[in-house]
Amino acid sequence: MQKQKIAIVSLTSCEGCQFALLDLGQRFLDLMNQVEMVDFRLLEDEEDAGGKLDIGIVEGNPTTKENIETLKKLRKRSKLLVVLGNCAAMGGVPEIKNYQQQKNTIKHVYKYIQGIENPEIREVDNFVKVDFVFPGCPINGEEFVKYFPELLKACLPEGAGKIPVIPDQPVCVECKKNGNKCLLLEKKPCFGPMIQGGCNAVCPSSRMMCQGCRGLRPTGNVKAMRATLKNFMTDEEFENTTEIFGLRDDIEDRGRK
Amino acid sequence: MQIKLNHINKIEGHAGFMASVLNGDVKSAKIEVKEGIRLIEGILIGRHYADMPVVAQRICGICPVVHNLTSIKSIENAMGVKVSQETINLRKALEWGQIIHSHSLHLFFLSLADFLDIDNDLKLVEKYPEETQKAIALREYGMAIVKIIGGRVVHPLTNEVGGFKKVPRLEEIQTLIKQGEATLLTAFEVAEFFKGIKLPKFERETEYVCLDARGEYAIYDGDLVSNRGLNVPVLEFEKNFHEVQRPREIIKRVESDGKTSYMVGAIARINNHHKKLHSRATQYLDSLGFSLPDYNPFHNVLYQMVEVIHGIEESLRILHILANSNLENAITKEYQVREGFGVAAVEAPRGTLYYHVDIDSKGYIKDVNIISPTAQFLSHLEDDIKKYLPEILNISDKDKEKKMRAFIRAYDPCISCAVH
Repeated sequence: MQKQKIAIVSLTSCEGCQFALLDLGQRFLDLMNQVEMVDFRLLEDEEDAGGKLDIGIVEGNPTTKENIETLKKLRKRSKLLVVLGNCAAMGGVPEIKNYQQQKNTIKHVYKYIQGIENPEIREVDNFVKVDFVFPGCPINGEEFVKYFPELLKACLPEGAGKIPVIPDQPVCVECKKNGNKCLLLEKKPCFGPMIQGGCNAVCPSSRMMCQGCRGLRPTGNVKAMRATLKNFMTDEEFENTTEIFGLRDDIEDRGRK
Repeated sequence: MQIKLNHINKIEGHAGFMASVLNGDVKSAKIEVKEGIRLIEGILIGRHYADMPVVAQRICGICPVVHNLTSIKSIENAMGVKVSQETINLRKALEWGQIIHSHSLHLFFLSLADFLDIDNDLKLVEKYPEETQKAIALREYGMAIVKIIGGRVVHPLTNEVGGFKKVPRLEEIQTLIKQGEATLLTAFEVAEFFKGIKLPKFERETEYVCLDARGEYAIYDGDLVSNRGLNVPVLEFEKNFHEVQRPREIIKRVESDGKTSYMVGAIARINNHHKKLHSRATQYLDSLGFSLPDYNPFHNVLYQMVEVIHGIEESLRILHILANSNLENAITKEYQVREGFGVAAVEAPRGTLYYHVDIDSKGYIKDVNIISPTAQFLSHLEDDIKKYLPEILNISDKDKEKKMRAFIRAYDPCISCAVH
């Protein structure tokens, strides 16, 4: 059988999600040996010859016209479009500027702003249809190892496989499994209960509060979370913290529903 | 004649290159940035200082540790927060872990193929399976240090203003020591392999800038020095080096007072401080037979290899100290939030990374500036290319393009950092 074709493309970003893949070392190389890598500019110089893809994988924010064009072309070529990480899925740290007065933000950085593209940050799914999200800042490489083969199967002719769904469970499940002391019980802020698990609770395991980079879980209860946090976080602190990983707009949307 | 590279692959971030040559004279040579802005400094203004390391380290997925460390140090300097020796040792180990894994990636996966005439790393891996395993092992040791001390490789978690949220257990330090000892042997083998690589000849005299601290090969703190007599405290960084934005450019280039471009990174550090290297790194450096000062930027690749060996030796030295320390002393103690201005510089894999921050009495950020290594050496790279291009005008266009790519990649630029 011919190898399935994939491409890994990055838009404006820190490229940390690609490094989370590379950091899998041999396991990543083994995964890549099972497919034909048409474009992965971190590892190859060859020009992408174009043509159909099974899976197009994209990381980062579409912030320039060129970024948006790259994204749309990738969508067109791909059976499945898969996004890597918080920037692509939720806007990431660059989205903080959406909550500031945008024109002032750029003026802090540049003297000459003419000719510099500075649009509002919008997630990838505002531009193209997204089939699967590897959440997180950065993504959890282990999840990639787990779901990528399922995604490959889902590209095969009918019935071979379905697009996987990350189970709806809070960060707390893995946090407890890791034997951590609960930050909330110590009266320290943590977003764990309302956030999609699957990260092996990497932050609270380092005694860092969950700041929600993987996004709200489908049944995450924001109201209950806010009520709990009221005791050790002001509303302003809560709101500021939800801005770091682009969670604030999602919480506002959830409130409207 | 024009030489145009739409996209330089195998570097961190997106950039192209354009040069025009007329009658053997290079009229212009320019790196063209192909990514968007994120305005990291702008978005930090008005935010609480505790958010700064979290946000700023996301400038770069390959060197988040150094952004994390430099932002934390600048805040500590602004607020007058003192940290324990154990904290400093853990941070130094983190930074060496960062340098080891970043250099190993660049050496083997980003740069090596250029000198073996291979255009795809998956082919490189096929042709050199043993060397690949060894290069991965080097990288894995660096990553293990960051993971165990920092909690995660990409965007570490434990380090914060005042100390650490969590410290490694003694068994974890001991595991790292074992891994480090094995990795040192692997590093010699990789280093021997690299010695066989033929690097192009080229040189242009220049100024090499890096940190300098007494009694050690400085990476975590010290003063700024250069081979041309610069010797100033980090507080005077912005008095000596100025960010200049050209219209429509999104990287603010850095000029030194002398208005000439200068170089930072492994080649600068080795030139200035080779006498401070540990024994095995010195031995390897000597065996390369380069005479110092060395002005060939291609040699940056091999100097990264020297630093990998030194980094393993130095990290082992620090880990042994950590194994005999009470690491509870590194856990963050209470401190006072104070108004103030602070600066900090740390040696990133690619050169000196500089931060300043101005914090108000409630702990909110009034101003922040970040100057990355790539922003500092961008003009130097272009100046080098202007001299290099006329030396290779006789080869075919395709080969010229290849040489250009190899040249740019030897610098190990990080475009994400440079734009931030």
